Amino acid sequence: MIKLDKNSEENLINLLESKNIGLEGNIVKLFETENSDFKEYLIKCSNKDKDSRRKRLEITKKVQSQNNDLSILNEENQKMMNDLQSTLKETEEQRVKIEIQNEELIEWRKENEKIQQDLQKEMINSERARIDAEDAKINALNDLDILQKRNQTELISTIVRVALYIIVGVGIVTTGVYIVTLFSGKDAQIISAAWSNIIGILLTNSFSIVGTIMGIKYATEKK
Amino acid sequence: MIDSILLVDDEDLFHLVFEDACSLLDISLSLNALNSSDEAAKLFQKWFQDGENNDKPECVFVDLNIIGSSFDGIELIRKVNFEYGNHVVIGIISSSNEPEEQAKAVQAGAQFWIIKSDDIEPRLEEFRKDYEGYKNRTLPFKVYK
Repeated sequence: MIKLDKNSEENLINLLESKNIGLEGNIVKLFETENSDFKEYLIKCSNKDKDSRRKRLEITKKVQSQNNDLSILNEENQKMMNDLQSTLKETEEQRVKIEIQNEELIEWRKENEKIQQDLQKEMINSERARIDAEDAKINALNDLDILQKRNQTELISTIVRVALYIIVGVGIVTTGVYIVTLFSGKDAQIISAAWSNIIGILLTNSFSIVGTIMGIKYATEKK
Repeated sequence: MIDSILLVDDEDLFHLVFEDACSLLDISLSLNALNSSDEAAKLFQKWFQDGENNDKPECVFVDLNIIGSSFDGIELIRKVNFEYGNHVVIGIISSSNEPEEQAKAVQAGAQFWIIKSDDIEPRLEEFRKDYEGYKNRTLPFKVYK
């Protein structure tokens, strides 16, 4: 404990009364005195110190609370920033993915266009081939028709020719028989009538056959 | 009244709060505050080696997590109790109320655990009443909520 002399105590009391300057802090608690005025002085100083400490404590607590709030806000901001950065990163990754997909789609589109063009070319070629095939089919059908007609013509020609040969042969044989009959001195009345009928018929048929041959030839040459 | 108190806490504002609260509650005449457990450990080591206990605090309040220190408050308590042999009343003052941490603190030799909050004066008042028990080592570990 600290004891002061009376003069010092008076000086301290006067200093407080005149200039409001007093002892502060825990040192006030260490003084010991018999002087009632100085006791009162120490109580005043102690109360003043307690008041100022109480005020400071309130302010410090307020600042501490504000600091805590700021710290929490800062943490939240940091978290938000992290979330934002994470979102930005994800967005950037998505953008890159989309760009890659776009590039792939463009490539596919180009390939599709190329395939389409090839397909169109192939379709044109196919159409041409179809037209060629149809032409070939028509030509083949025409050729077949011609061949059939030629065969028919040839057949008719052969038939006509054989018929002509038969007619000429019959004419020659009939004429020969008639000549033999005339030179042998036998009655040739009946045979002469028959011979003239046959010759007439043969001539008629011959002209008919020749006409037919000419017609066939004309038709054949035209084709 | 406690002769001298040492507060180990990284938060300067809390130094002021604690000092004013202790002064208003007449808990202590003298209070020193340190920002790191390393500084506190060095001091206790010095006191232990020198064997002079004049400036050694009577009671030590240690924050649990001390930013900027190489070890936490529980480790400091363990060092003080088991390495430096300084018989002081020592405990944790922290905003944490984790039973696991409190169990660790008990193992390290902590005598009390005061929960730090805006309204710390009632807890310090209660602590002041129990202080003699801690000094005599008759009071078990207690959490001031």
